[in-house]
Amino acid sequence: MLKNLTIEGTAKLLKDKKISAFEIANSYIKEIKESKKLNCFITISEEVAFDAAKKTDARISENKKIGLLDGVPLAYKDLFCTNNILTTASSKILSNFTPTYESTVTANCKSQGAVVLGKLNCDEFAMGSTNKTSFYGPVINPWKSSDKDDELVPGGSSGGSAAAVAADLCVASLGTDTGGSIRQPASFTGLVGLKPTYGRVSRWGTVAFASSLDQAGPISKTVEDAAILLEAISGHDNKDSTSSLKANEQFYANLNSSVKGLKIGVPKEYMSDDLPEEIQNFWNDGKKILAKNGAEIVEISLPSTSTALPAYYIIAPAEASSNLSRYDGVKYGLRVQEKNLIDMYESTRSEGFGNEVKRRIMIGTYVLSSGYYDAYYIKAQKIRSIIKNDFDSAFKNVDAIFTPATPNTAFPINREEVDPVQNYLNDIFTVPANLAGLPAISIPFGLDNSGLPIGMQLITNSFEEQMLLNIAKNLQDTLNFNVQPTQWWK
Amino acid sequence: MNNNWQTVIGIEIHAQVNSKSKLFSSSSTEFGSAPNTQVSLVDAAMPGMLPVINKFCIEQAIKSGLGLNATINNKSIFDRKNYFYQDLPQGYQISQFKDPIVGEGTVEIDIDGKKKIIGIERLHLEQDAGKSLHDQDPNMTFVDLNRSGIALMEIVSKPDMASPEEAIAYVRKVRTILRYLDTCDGNMEQGSLRADVNISVRKEGDELGTRCEIKNLNSFKHIGLAINFEVDRQIKLIENGDKVNQETRLYDVSTDKTRSMRSKEDAHDYRYFPDPDLLPLNLNQNWIDEIKKTLPELPDTKKIRFINDYKISEYDADVLTQDKSISEYFEDVATNRSTKLSVSWVASELFAVLNKLNLTIDKSPINSKQLGSLIDEIENGTISNRAAKEVFEEMVTSEKSVKDIINDKGLVQISDTTEIEKFINQVLIDNPDNVQKYKDGKTKLLGFFIGEVMKVTKGKANPGLLNQLVKKKLDN
Amino acid sequence: MEFDKNSTLKLAKLARLSLNDEQLDSLEKDLTSIVSFIDQLKEINTEKIDPTSNSLNQDLILRDDIAENKLSNEDLLRNVPDSELGFFVVPKVIE
Repeated sequence: MLKNLTIEGTAKLLKDKKISAFEIANSYIKEIKESKKLNCFITISEEVAFDAAKKTDARISENKKIGLLDGVPLAYKDLFCTNNILTTASSKILSNFTPTYESTVTANCKSQGAVVLGKLNCDEFAMGSTNKTSFYGPVINPWKSSDKDDELVPGGSSGGSAAAVAADLCVASLGTDTGGSIRQPASFTGLVGLKPTYGRVSRWGTVAFASSLDQAGPISKTVEDAAILLEAISGHDNKDSTSSLKANEQFYANLNSSVKGLKIGVPKEYMSDDLPEEIQNFWNDGKKILAKNGAEIVEISLPSTSTALPAYYIIAPAEASSNLSRYDGVKYGLRVQEKNLIDMYESTRSEGFGNEVKRRIMIGTYVLSSGYYDAYYIKAQKIRSIIKNDFDSAFKNVDAIFTPATPNTAFPINREEVDPVQNYLNDIFTVPANLAGLPAISIPFGLDNSGLPIGMQLITNSFEEQMLLNIAKNLQDTLNFNVQPTQWWK
Repeated sequence: MNNNWQTVIGIEIHAQVNSKSKLFSSSSTEFGSAPNTQVSLVDAAMPGMLPVINKFCIEQAIKSGLGLNATINNKSIFDRKNYFYQDLPQGYQISQFKDPIVGEGTVEIDIDGKKKIIGIERLHLEQDAGKSLHDQDPNMTFVDLNRSGIALMEIVSKPDMASPEEAIAYVRKVRTILRYLDTCDGNMEQGSLRADVNISVRKEGDELGTRCEIKNLNSFKHIGLAINFEVDRQIKLIENGDKVNQETRLYDVSTDKTRSMRSKEDAHDYRYFPDPDLLPLNLNQNWIDEIKKTLPELPDTKKIRFINDYKISEYDADVLTQDKSISEYFEDVATNRSTKLSVSWVASELFAVLNKLNLTIDKSPINSKQLGSLIDEIENGTISNRAAKEVFEEMVTSEKSVKDIINDKGLVQISDTTEIEKFINQVLIDNPDNVQKYKDGKTKLLGFFIGEVMKVTKGKANPGLLNQLVKKKLDN
Repeated sequence: MEFDKNSTLKLAKLARLSLNDEQLDSLEKDLTSIVSFIDQLKEINTEKIDPTSNSLNQDLILRDDIAENKLSNEDLLRNVPDSELGFFVVPKVIE
């Protein structure tokens, strides 16, 4: 098998004609089929992948110039609509849905020659931080604790996207991040996960969860790969009214790992006694590294940090409750036939949606309903303004903000859950960037005492992804974290 | 009906913007296509689809707002109105709730010569729904989404109308204004303009009563009948000691009655909130000013000008300005010609033909240039008014020029004094008795002699001249 | 706010979800817990703050009025649960 390949590495192998794109694709497809235990893939798009790989090989044999993504095996969270390939959002309600169109993001990868291996499992409609809410069953984290044999969650909602890269079932993947759904699973699996500035990446053709928060982004082994993928999927799209008009940038070519002279803020509100000591330690290590490499570390204040999570759990469900109204059994997807229309709607939606989705639809419906709208929805949108202002003030003094990515490491899949709010707390460090629309990245820092990965997060100002990647690269190069999970699942 | 009752009417007009493509997608808006052939991925609310707004629709809304003397709001917001319905693919309608594109305005109506100002509350843009067919199958409803997503302007009046006549006059006037502005074609049969009428009754001096909304009225006649029925129904209810329920009602064209559409316990909670797929619409004042410059002369102004410039009656001016094309047609005809002839030929003769053939002025078989040249022939004395009517009738079906028709039919008027005198002399010789009677004082016989001359000239004698000459001859 | 059977059912009706007793019970509990979590915002004074519904600071992009029908009826109905004669078909609706 091909182990630990990166986009950069794959591109070099292909360019040097060490291996053909078809051989690479074939190897990955084989690996995917042998790794079903991890439940990363909902659909394997073998034919499409081989077809694309052969085209890359033809270009190479004709000595055509090939780009960095040409022939590189990727896989996509099953939230991206893919032409002629089943797209489910991990929900029963879309379990029979085959789009006739391709999302802008995946179309961009396709046009650059990427080979799509298949569609990755995730939390249903991206609602969750464990990947346990999928209609297709939980994804299992390739990482295991050294002292216990429990199967662990890969995080979520882009759990499949993270686990597949960590288990070498694809070179890199695309996920979506509404409240941490890229950064948290990346952190749980020892990978780089990037959520771009809101508006940087088109949302057209990506199944919507919360429209004002959703952004697609890469999960990869290295910061370089994150830069390559971000560059590939970014840019203005006239089919998305919330797509930024800013010109696309050459994130990869412009990577520069120097942090000299940068001011990096550490928000005091993120420090808490509840934070596990090992995470605290890595955070401190990070500060030291950055300082040693020439950055200035400053303590800053983001006073409204604690309001972000409750505000998020108003805004996201509100938008979701409306976004998910289209799944009604009339135009596509599951229908439970009944004698009258309302019964048909209710049976279809009750049968088609899982419990977490129902919970969020109910909460979203509640906070928008007459008499509660001002108290909850408007209130949360005002909190969003305050949070944005906090960040705006902070970025007057610092270039980036450095925090832990998650308040914990991967936990057992069978952990007993008494209260949904318990899981919501997984997003505590990631949610503020979504509410403020800021780019943020999680980078692997090392393993805790039981051998599980821990990630840290960097946040920069809007459209400052280049700086985000540069600082991340500095940390990556200094840390030199390069540990793979033991392959126990085959 | 009891005279103490007052009717209070407010109207929501849904006017389809005459755009080529839909409000948030590029599907065509053409009427009458095969079912579900003008539906984009966006209109069908496929997963991951996003709305992108049509610039032209915004322009049209601004234009309409200006035409209704309304304020244009520099910032407006698109909201989602959430409810489930088979012809609403998204499960929500994109509309404008708190911050519409157009604010308060006014429309002037005219009832039996009395003017009344009707207030406009707002105008906003929203998506139309699809169409449901209930009669195709006993157990199923069929849904066509061709109309889904077409841009509508919802124009909300204040509850300023007090009678069906005022309601009709108001809708008619708004329709006229929109057609002048060319923002909506006003075609009520095709559903391009529909009215939801809110009606309540109260005793004079009382507070407003509970209102009912009658949905989707698409002709002036139905608006009138529905209001009459509904007013009667509400008064009877109250007089019998019952209460009017606030509800949505449907007007049934087969019975001329309204019936309850949605029950009270199924009351909607639309959960309006700003559509997160769209950013706020900020309108640059320069853009609004540019649009203002393109506004055409509107019916009220035009009517006053017609009265002043052409010295025509208010009634005629009203008729001639009710439609932009008619007013333009009339002006084409009337320029440098007799106003009196122009009014009569357009408003009586031409309208009669159009009515009979059920055509609008744009489809008139006689264009303004042709009608103008017919009037020219009358004015220069080539043909008589009577002959002109014959020519006119021929023009409806013939491609021939006015001159050719006159020549082919031999309708050229005899205006030569000597020639007419010859005919007069003959008539006088043939009727010595009547000549004598006339001379004895029975001057009413003048008409008889004129008639006889007309008979022998087949109506071609110039009537003015003939009259003069006969009189002269007899009185000598 | 404590959710009881009635308030939960009312919401479910609005959201077009039908729930059995077991689901109702557990949703009542969950919703009560979630709402008490979001209720902490009530403490925050937001009187003079404008709400933000989208963080992107940009003017709304406008599209030119060009009509194009790219989607065939066949593709439109590709995933449809029930259709006839090119229509979407649903159980009989009485208005």
